[in-house]
Amino acid sequence: MSYLIDEGKNASHLLMGNEAIVRGALEAGINVAAGYPGTPSSEIIECFSQVAKERNLYVEWSTNEKVAVEVAAAASFAGLRSLCVMKQNGVNVASDFLLHLASSGTRGGMILVTCDDPGALSSVNEGESRLFAQLLEIPLLEPGDFQEAKDIIPWAFDLSEKIRNIVMVRSVTRLSHASGNVHFGPLPTRVAKAEFRNSGPLLDPETGPMIAMIVGAPEAQHGPQQEKMKRAAEIFETCPFNTYTGPATPELLIITSSACSLYSQEAVSILGLGERVGILKLATTWPLPQRLLKKHLAATPKILFVEEVAPTLEDHVKVVAAESGAEIGVKTFFGKKSGHLPSLGELNPDLVLMALSRIFAVPYEGAPADFSAAVKALAARYAPPRGMTFCPGCPHRASYWSINNALKLDGRGGFVCGDIGCYVMGTMAAGFNTCKTLHAMGSGSGIASGFGKLKQFGVDQPVLSVCGDSTFFHAAMPALANAIHQRSPFTMLLMDNRGTAMTGFQPHPGSPTNVLGEATPALDMEKICRAMGAKVEVSDPFDLEKTRQKLNHLMEYADGAKVLILRRACALSPERRGKKEYEVTVDESRCRGEDCGCNRICTRIFGCPGLIWDGEKKVSRIDEIICVGCGVCADICPAGAILRKEVA
Amino acid sequence: MSDVKLAKDPYNVIITGVGGQGNVLVARLLGGMLAKKGFLVAIGETFGASQRGGSVMSHLRISRLAVASPQIPRGRADVIVSLEPAEALRVLALYGNPGTMLLTNSHPIYPVGVIKGELVYPPVAEMEAAITQILPTAYFIDATARALALGNSILVNIVMLGALGRLNVVPFNREDFQEAIALRLATGQLAINLKAFDEGYGMV
Amino acid sequence: MKIFGATKLAETVIQTELCSGCGACIDLCPYFRSYRGKTAYLFPCTREEGRCFAYCPKVEVDPDGLSRFLFAKPYDGHPLGNWRSIHVARAGARVKRQPFQSGGTVSALMYFSLRSGCIRGAILTGRKGLLPVPQLVTRPAGVWRHSLSKYTAAPTLAALNRAIAAGHEALGVVATPCQATAIAQMRMNPLQNRSFRDHTALVIGLFCTWALDFRKFEAFLAERVPLKDIVKIDIPPPPASVLEVYLQEEKREFPLDEIRLLVPDTCGYCLDMTSEFADVSVGVLEGHPELNTLIVRTERGEEIVREAQRQEYIILDDMPVENREHLEWAAGNKKQRGLRRCMETGRLNGEAGTACLRLTGEVTDRILKNGRNGKESPCHT
Ligand SMILES: Cc1cc2nc3c(=O)[nH]c(=O)nc-3n(C[C@H](O)[C@H](O)[C@H](O)COP(=O)(O)OP(=O)(O)OC[C@H]3O[C@@H](n4cnc5c(N)ncnc54)[C@H](O)[C@@H]3O)c2cc1C
Ligand code: SF4
Ligand code: SF4
Ligand code: SF4
Ligand code: SF4
Repeated sequence: MSYLIDEGKNASHLLMGNEAIVRGALEAGINVAAGYPGTPSSEIIECFSQVAKERNLYVEWSTNEKVAVEVAAAASFAGLRSLCVMKQNGVNVASDFLLHLASSGTRGGMILVTCDDPGALSSVNEGESRLFAQLLEIPLLEPGDFQEAKDIIPWAFDLSEKIRNIVMVRSVTRLSHASGNVHFGPLPTRVAKAEFRNSGPLLDPETGPMIAMIVGAPEAQHGPQQEKMKRAAEIFETCPFNTYTGPATPELLIITSSACSLYSQEAVSILGLGERVGILKLATTWPLPQRLLKKHLAATPKILFVEEVAPTLEDHVKVVAAESGAEIGVKTFFGKKSGHLPSLGELNPDLVLMALSRIFAVPYEGAPADFSAAVKALAARYAPPRGMTFCPGCPHRASYWSINNALKLDGRGGFVCGDIGCYVMGTMAAGFNTCKTLHAMGSGSGIASGFGKLKQFGVDQPVLSVCGDSTFFHAAMPALANAIHQRSPFTMLLMDNRGTAMTGFQPHPGSPTNVLGEATPALDMEKICRAMGAKVEVSDPFDLEKTRQKLNHLMEYADGAKVLILRRACALSPERRGKKEYEVTVDESRCRGEDCGCNRICTRIFGCPGLIWDGEKKVSRIDEIICVGCGVCADICPAGAILRKEVA
Repeated sequence: MSDVKLAKDPYNVIITGVGGQGNVLVARLLGGMLAKKGFLVAIGETFGASQRGGSVMSHLRISRLAVASPQIPRGRADVIVSLEPAEALRVLALYGNPGTMLLTNSHPIYPVGVIKGELVYPPVAEMEAAITQILPTAYFIDATARALALGNSILVNIVMLGALGRLNVVPFNREDFQEAIALRLATGQLAINLKAFDEGYGMV
Repeated sequence: MKIFGATKLAETVIQTELCSGCGACIDLCPYFRSYRGKTAYLFPCTREEGRCFAYCPKVEVDPDGLSRFLFAKPYDGHPLGNWRSIHVARAGARVKRQPFQSGGTVSALMYFSLRSGCIRGAILTGRKGLLPVPQLVTRPAGVWRHSLSKYTAAPTLAALNRAIAAGHEALGVVATPCQATAIAQMRMNPLQNRSFRDHTALVIGLFCTWALDFRKFEAFLAERVPLKDIVKIDIPPPPASVLEVYLQEEKREFPLDEIRLLVPDTCGYCLDMTSEFADVSVGVLEGHPELNTLIVRTERGEEIVREAQRQEYIILDDMPVENREHLEWAAGNKKQRGLRRCMETGRLNGEAGTACLRLTGEVTDRILKNGRNGKESPCHT
């Protein structure tokens, strides 16, 4: 039994922020959860799935984030409590439906959990989902620690049901992927019974149909939506998760939220400023609790905003301060705008320490400067930087190898439009710098479709796109449909590594099982593409020469949209992990090393971490600990020096 | 609640290494053991894209008073446990101070730049000599060799955990480990993991 | 003369479209490969010196050095290069098989050389569809499958490199002039490799005014004839001035003026019409599509030709003086055109690593005097 459904009295566990959110939802009696994987949010659906049976939940990995919200919304419309979850980029995808949902409102409590990634530790951007709460006109909550990550969820469900609208809860990497002790509350026992009532009057929130907009009559829904926000603001004035610590009239007030509140506490405590600095930690960051803010602003002359990515607290609190200037007087503000904190990247205790040390003119150093300088000098000398690369035995390295070769051979200046997944490394040396555009999920294929139509303006080189199997269903199918319909002559490389590898092998519509491990119909991408009208070829990326040939052939002859499916499971996938196909060795006597005739193409260019260059002996060799025995490097060695023997 | 005293509160431990070495497991095992003993623990982890052969680091903060922030401030690590020597140095440069205790595996994992021959990974013995000159307490052990001797390089993280147990700075012992590992692994794997722990214990 | 590496080669030859696709840099290593007549540089090689650069006939060619190495004579800029004798030739009585491009001298010499053991393998250029495909042939009968001219650039020397790497020795090669130059450079062991050995035993050079760009030529024909029905392609000697395409049932003709548009830039820099650095050179005899011109240049070439003649594999006749004068006139024209082009673009005696060729002022002057106004001769040869 999972500790997530521990019902012991006074139970307490060390939980990841994501687990705390799950436990909170379980305590709130959640019924339905849907999401699309994305670091740092993915554990939430996985944890729900682990307890789905015991807690009678419906849990799914949806095709994309928009569908996830729609699935969760249906549950809410039927009176159930539901949660949808995604990383910040997912909110962009879901935003179209979210805008309409916020307008129609919800019934059963519904929460949108977004896990932002300040600093883009595992994202292609450090997007900011909090701004969506303003755009969508829905309430936003930000838990400040692990306990709160759990506790705030039931509160959010209640809020959602009070105002009959979706509530957004925003976590960040340093909460979602961090752990702390969490005390559990009781799990409810009620049995859910759902019904979608829809025969009442059009705008009846209880019994009417759920419809987003009455054309030309904004007052019908936008009006009530704004009322909901007013109610939420009122409730937020007394939200138990907005806390203040510090003196009654601090010299400086820190206004903060989320993980930044922990950094602020630590910084204040390290500098011994507890008597001089107050910390107002807000959990309700949109709409802002105006009266609460006014009270705290009035008590201090100076305010420091500690928040990550966009200065949203900073901007909106300043509005509050301006509006109540007559009552509370003129304030001095510090934050991103004043340059005391950086305008990008994630924060940490040190950045807050530096800001405070500047404001209070108290010196601070973490470790003696001479010591730090000495170790840094050693690190520069002895610790070569660690670049990113594909895993040993990764199919993408092999795929990009063939793509590079096919493009170079083709010789017409063709290029690849990249996409989101491990294969973003196609933009780097790891993928031979093959990808020349990189944006959102599925965009590579859309952009490629567009490039394909620029012939009349002189852009006539071959255009390729890469797209993972999960990405294909998520957002690339419309792009492919477009290209086929518009006769855009591009080639989509569908890198089918059997699962959503980047985030940990979540199933997608092409997988034979769902999140619970139950058998489900696996959509056949090959047939789909063919049925859509594309010319389709399938290749094993580990067969370098065949893959290259097929790609060259597609680029050369077939017109219209083409799809080359490169099928081979990820090296980390359950089906390949720990299994060596070949025992691989280097015959040093045959290795040409740096000589003319090879110039160590295996280690210098191919770059599988399983191969290392022995600078003393001047030969390449296999690192047995790292090599997973895929055998691909044997095919790139011009001297036949890399030997592979099938493992029985 | 155990009555073990913490040398400092919060007590800051960093577990670092390279993606795939299993340092996240070490941090979670440790965190679990300590939470069980009644400590307030916070763990901050860096993984995700960095898992793919990049540097990985977990911050573990142990306290009797409050759950601390998941990021240790610069220069404030009390113990650094590293599964890879270059990572040890990198983390020491940011989070170390003259009082930091360093425990590191001495077996290198070469960064791509080194594999490609663009960068040089100097001999670890040289690095060790240089570090011990400025850091009073530093332990270098070849945990990888020991793990390989036990039959699987993946055990390197447990060997290191055993060695940390011996150093007696973080309040946990073999029984705690046995209990914690039993929760995570299939019974078939317990014996070898305990063996790895014991081997590590004997290495410092 | 300084030798550079692959990156320099890619910069000065491949990226500038100066590459003729000869294949000399291919299959020495994994960095260069041929695709549809073009040579591609797949990944950057960082070596400062390489065989790829050293062998390439389009960069840093030193005709004087080659001439001294092959003929023990300086290079004097004569339109036909160095030669021992010139003949009219055709396949002899011992050769029954067809088809040939013209007199069959090339195939007959290769066939004889393989049968007699003068060579133990032949590097010939067959075709797959329209695409020229070079191949190592070790059985004499295999020669016939590779006869006929493919008028597009072919990576013939890639097959030579492969055969050498596989340990074959005493190889014969049929080469165009740029290929013959590359082979001569290979034979000089430019990188002073200690374990080097000369693996060639006979180089038959073809006459060549230009070789077409494969992609363009294929596209040109694809629009006009069913590609799969093509049996033979010919450019008959003047005054025809057409390209003939023999199909299963009919023959189609295309004016050479249209075809010349498909000639790659690189041929305009070439000074060599008669494969001056081969052992023997073969072309079509003007006015006689069924006969060859044969130029014998080296001692080893002479021995094989004599033996082949004695054993009736080839038949030799005297070369009429008018024919030889006309050949010199045409070859001199090509030389002058190519030289002018190199001079105009700074590729004669240019900066180290970028020059097409290196010539003394004296030789340069002589070539410019020999040619006539740089006009292409009215005939093909
Ligand atoms: C591209 C090209 C341009 C030519 N231009 C002229 C010219 O301007 N004037 C002239 O007199 N003669 C020219 N020739 C030569 C002529 O076409 C005949 O090849 C020559 O006369 C020999 O005739 P044959 O009957 O002995 O040939 P065959 O016995 O039919 O043998 C032909 C040989 O040529 C080789 N070959 C075919 N195509 C190629 C190629 N692309 N690259 C390398 N080797 C190849 C084959 O391996 C075969 O061994 C040219 C040939 C080529 C390939
Ligand atoms: S590719 Fe082969 S020959 Fe070249 S360095 Fe690697 S093992 Fe040696
Ligand atoms: S076999 Fe070669 S390519 Fe595959 S994992 Fe081992 S070293 Fe890497
Ligand atoms: S220098 Fe040698 S190894 Fe490098 S590309 Fe040239 S031939 Fe190949
Ligand atoms: S050697 Fe031949 S194929 Fe290679 S670059 Fe030079 S001309 Fe081109």
